[in-house]
Amino acid sequence: MNKRWLAALVATGALIALAAFGAAARSSGSQSGGTFRIGTSSRIDSLNPYVAFNQDAYNTFEYVYPFLIQYDKSNSRFVSDFATSWKPSNGGKTWTFKTRAHAVWDDGKPLTAKDAAWTINTDLKYASGGAANAAGLVAHIKKASAPNATTLVIKYSKAPGNVLGQFQQLAILPQHVWTKFTAHKGNDLKTYSNSPLVGAGPFKLVKFKKNDIALFQRNDSFYGEKPKADGFGLRMFSNEDTLVAALKAHEIDAIESVPGTAIKTLRKSFNIRTAPGVDQTDFIINSNTKKTSHRELLNAKVKEAMSHAVDRKQIIKVVFLGYAKPASTIIPPATGAWHNPSLKPEKFDLALANKLLDQAGFKKGKGGIRVAGGRKMSYAVITPTDVPSTNRTFQILQPDFRNIGINLTQRALDSTAAFDAMTAPDNKYLKFDLALWDWVGLIDPDFMLSVVTCAQYGGWSDSGYCNQRYDKMYSQQQLTPNQAKRKQVVWKMQKYLYAQKPYIWLAAQDAVWAVSKSWGGLVPSPQGPFNSINKLSLTRVHQQ
Amino acid sequence: MSVVLQEPAALDDAVPVRSRRGIVWETVKRRPSALVGAGLLALVIVGAVLAPVLAPYDLHEQVGPVFGRPSWSHPLGLDDGGIDMVTLLMWGARISLVVGFAATFVSMVIGGAIGVTAGYFGGKVDTILMRITDYFLVIPDVPLMIIVAAIWGPSLFHIVIVIGILLWTSTARVIRAQVKSVRERVYVKRARSLGASHMRVVLRHVLPQVAPLLIANTVLTIAVAIFDETALAFLGLSDPSRISLGKMIENAFQRAAISTGAWWAIVPPGVLVAVIILACSLLGGAIEDALNPRLRVAHLSARTFRLRPLVGRGPEAL
Amino acid sequence: MRGADYIVKRIVFALLTVFVAITINFALFRLAPGSAVTNLARVPHATPETRLAIKRQFGLDKSKWQQYWIYLGQLFRGNLGVSFANSQPVSSNLRTALINTLPMVLIGTVFAIVLGTLTGVIAAWRRGTKTEGASVTTALAFYSMPTHWLGLMLVILFAGVLPTGGMSNEFLLNPSFSTHVKDLAEHIALPSLTLGLVLYGEYTLIVRSAMLETLGEDYILTARAKGFRAGAILRRHALRNAMLPIATLIALSLGYIVAGAILVETVFSWPGIGRAVYDAVLQRDYPMLQGAFLLLTVSVVFFNLVADLLYFKLDPRITT
Repeated sequence: MNKRWLAALVATGALIALAAFGAAARSSGSQSGGTFRIGTSSRIDSLNPYVAFNQDAYNTFEYVYPFLIQYDKSNSRFVSDFATSWKPSNGGKTWTFKTRAHAVWDDGKPLTAKDAAWTINTDLKYASGGAANAAGLVAHIKKASAPNATTLVIKYSKAPGNVLGQFQQLAILPQHVWTKFTAHKGNDLKTYSNSPLVGAGPFKLVKFKKNDIALFQRNDSFYGEKPKADGFGLRMFSNEDTLVAALKAHEIDAIESVPGTAIKTLRKSFNIRTAPGVDQTDFIINSNTKKTSHRELLNAKVKEAMSHAVDRKQIIKVVFLGYAKPASTIIPPATGAWHNPSLKPEKFDLALANKLLDQAGFKKGKGGIRVAGGRKMSYAVITPTDVPSTNRTFQILQPDFRNIGINLTQRALDSTAAFDAMTAPDNKYLKFDLALWDWVGLIDPDFMLSVVTCAQYGGWSDSGYCNQRYDKMYSQQQLTPNQAKRKQVVWKMQKYLYAQKPYIWLAAQDAVWAVSKSWGGLVPSPQGPFNSINKLSLTRVHQQ
Repeated sequence: MSVVLQEPAALDDAVPVRSRRGIVWETVKRRPSALVGAGLLALVIVGAVLAPVLAPYDLHEQVGPVFGRPSWSHPLGLDDGGIDMVTLLMWGARISLVVGFAATFVSMVIGGAIGVTAGYFGGKVDTILMRITDYFLVIPDVPLMIIVAAIWGPSLFHIVIVIGILLWTSTARVIRAQVKSVRERVYVKRARSLGASHMRVVLRHVLPQVAPLLIANTVLTIAVAIFDETALAFLGLSDPSRISLGKMIENAFQRAAISTGAWWAIVPPGVLVAVIILACSLLGGAIEDALNPRLRVAHLSARTFRLRPLVGRGPEAL
Repeated sequence: MRGADYIVKRIVFALLTVFVAITINFALFRLAPGSAVTNLARVPHATPETRLAIKRQFGLDKSKWQQYWIYLGQLFRGNLGVSFANSQPVSSNLRTALINTLPMVLIGTVFAIVLGTLTGVIAAWRRGTKTEGASVTTALAFYSMPTHWLGLMLVILFAGVLPTGGMSNEFLLNPSFSTHVKDLAEHIALPSLTLGLVLYGEYTLIVRSAMLETLGEDYILTARAKGFRAGAILRRHALRNAMLPIATLIALSLGYIVAGAILVETVFSWPGIGRAVYDAVLQRDYPMLQGAFLLLTVSVVFFNLVADLLYFKLDPRITT
């Protein structure tokens, strides 16, 4: 036998053995000393607040940008962030905010109320253009001004009911960086890659590789409570198996949104924290009244029938392993009083669904599939590949829908391509029929209610829903300062949508986190510890 | 044409295959592993065909918890939907085999037609057809399959067509070589001189000589087709409405089967695929071997046999 | 003289095939139905200036023939368009991806060649014995395993011992050189091992087959009759002559391996060219798809050419 080959073989084996040995010899603790490493199967789709729509992007913005307001530890009261105090006057039509003094941006330039005023005015000016994502947040504002570096004055056309809730979501951008990108009716706002990201939060973004990693370092010139850790990182995994494996191998310290199947095994050596969540999975029906094909999906009876073919119990059992509650309305129960409790999830009743469809006049044809307008009731359901629950959910829905004579096929796309396919062509929402996705709401209901307004075409809307009466109610709740009265309107809106069904709500997922036992101090919330609700969790997390 | 991708050796000195029994006997005599291959394949096919009858549980029925452990009533446990794994394996094999056979049929038809035409007519026709074949050989097949599945949409039909139009090349070349040699044989020349049409000559004289080799090639192609379907399913591009063996692996992977310790959801489907491919390789290789005229005798050892590997369609599907 | 003739002929043929590949690539992506495919300037969230520049560069508003001409011209200049996913030039994305894939593929291939040659030689040498049977069966078994499934099996085996995803530990800030190298080695181990195990099976069979064929030649009988020891015969005659088909088939395989390793990269989240193709498909990133597909086809042609030239160089029978 030739010794040369034997040597080569041994060398190769040695390489592998060396790697294995090196791995085993590695200490099991964090290798980066004070960096809290979070793993996720979702991703930051964009660093630009005018473009991003993944929740992780918004969680990132919360920690790198100044906001006027944030929620407190209990996730129910508004407390200060960049604004130190606020006062309404003029019957609620003028709001005056006092902001922090001597604050600076990451590049050293001063951060003042002028940046806040500029952001608000820019969003106002281009609300129908490049700033569509933020348009809802500046509704009813006439003008924002900063008479001095620490005073911000907002003038409203009508007294709104949720000023603080709106400003809790509005990231203040550095005027000196973004002012160059307002050309073409503000559409340039969407083209800026926002890299390097100039912010002014408790952390500074130091490394970003899309679909891979985002690393943040503690910002010692932050105007508020300074973080205890040196920094944190968000590592994005392409599937949940490698995500959980990485946690078990201590390559990361925490997982946001633990897959249900892994909870039992992780419980043994990790802290599992669950809380009722605001992440609801939904079955989206294209409700654009101008759509050209499959107009039977605009028929209320059809939508109602479809809602009776959804087996929520099975979905919760199999997809979420029990860590979810049946969902019924656009505002989840975890928001507290804003949720309308009289709206119950539609009953799973295939016989009723069949009856309704028969009554609507859509007879079953060849192969048991109903015919509508001469065409089969056969639809493609778009599913985003980075929302892992959609696969099994689809597999549960498909046979049940077949049973009532509707044929579903799955069309899996990356979330950007999926959203593109839904809004095509050119934000006209003409091409798609059905989709499965999820929404992560906030505590204040305004944002979730806004996603089905006409103004959100090309912005947040993924259902193509546009209804004048609904839009009127939306304005009304925005302009009702009395919170009790506002609640009435919000409940009424939920009831209206419940009948109109642009969404069939499936399940409200519990926020489930797995955290290494060597880290503590995370502040829970319905969105999980890494959230867009306040800057507390990652500021207070520390090694123990 | 590339010298390296040699034309498969024509079976010039072969004893003309006279009877089907002869070939089978030859195969088994030389390579007992052919029996193993055939046996395994037959077992899988029977299991898959009889799935509706034999499967212990319903394919869509949840019979236990998600990733339920193997037990006496469920020897291979449950998958991520709480469905019995043995049932899934039987139905999954069905789909995988259907795709494999269908794609192979497509490639056999195309490859056979092109090979026969090129080998029989020779000359310019031959050159053109072989150039086309060469080009197809060079296309990276998994990337093309991915692109087409993405553009056309992932349905079983599309998958079959896509796999089929990429696998015909090896069939074409093998058939062409054989047809070329057969064409020169005396009885063929005599038939032509007697005025038989091309069609008649091809059907009556050429094809029967080509058939055994075609069968061998077909069996080997089935292996590759099943592999390709598994690969596409893993990448999320197979028909989502049918459970194939590849889809089972993908489902388990997507739902963290490995890190949850649910090995039973991911190991059996892969083993079954490997068994099918192995069986096809053994069987196909053995038949090819039996048709091999060049009896090579090695002087360092007593027995003789030779395996001709599937050139050009093996590792690139990685 | 004949030698140069042959080389030139092969190179010309390769170039011709590349040209055909380029043309078919154009057809596949520009003539396919659906305007989304042809409108390569639809880079999401790009400035109107960028879109206009691309439109002008690729003549997207002109006739198909003019587009083809311009396409060739741009190709010559190395301009493959702008990726939809990260608004970077496709060529630089591909370059990064290729650089990431090559080490993993090379290590895997070396492993496969070494192991395959070893086991193939053993099988041929010990023909008719149980060793050969075991060797061949194992090779066939690994050859039959789906690549991604084998990768997952290795993940099950090595979870906790070796990292199961990514190219390096991204959380290491400013690591020392040795730490960095160790980190890279740990991450590359499993993907290349998977690749190696799947490949080696075929090499074993090829080597064994080539060896058997050579071992049957008359000069071997002569050498044996002259009393040479088996080892010397193997080394000096058999293996050297078996190197020809081995080397060429290995070169051929390389062409196809670079053409993806898609499955391995997907299992191990390896940011290489295979993953790039897959991500581009999911994101409908047509410029990337077109560029990647072209790159892969060209690489296969290139390695085929290498194999041909190798064959030519090593086979004494061709020169005369």
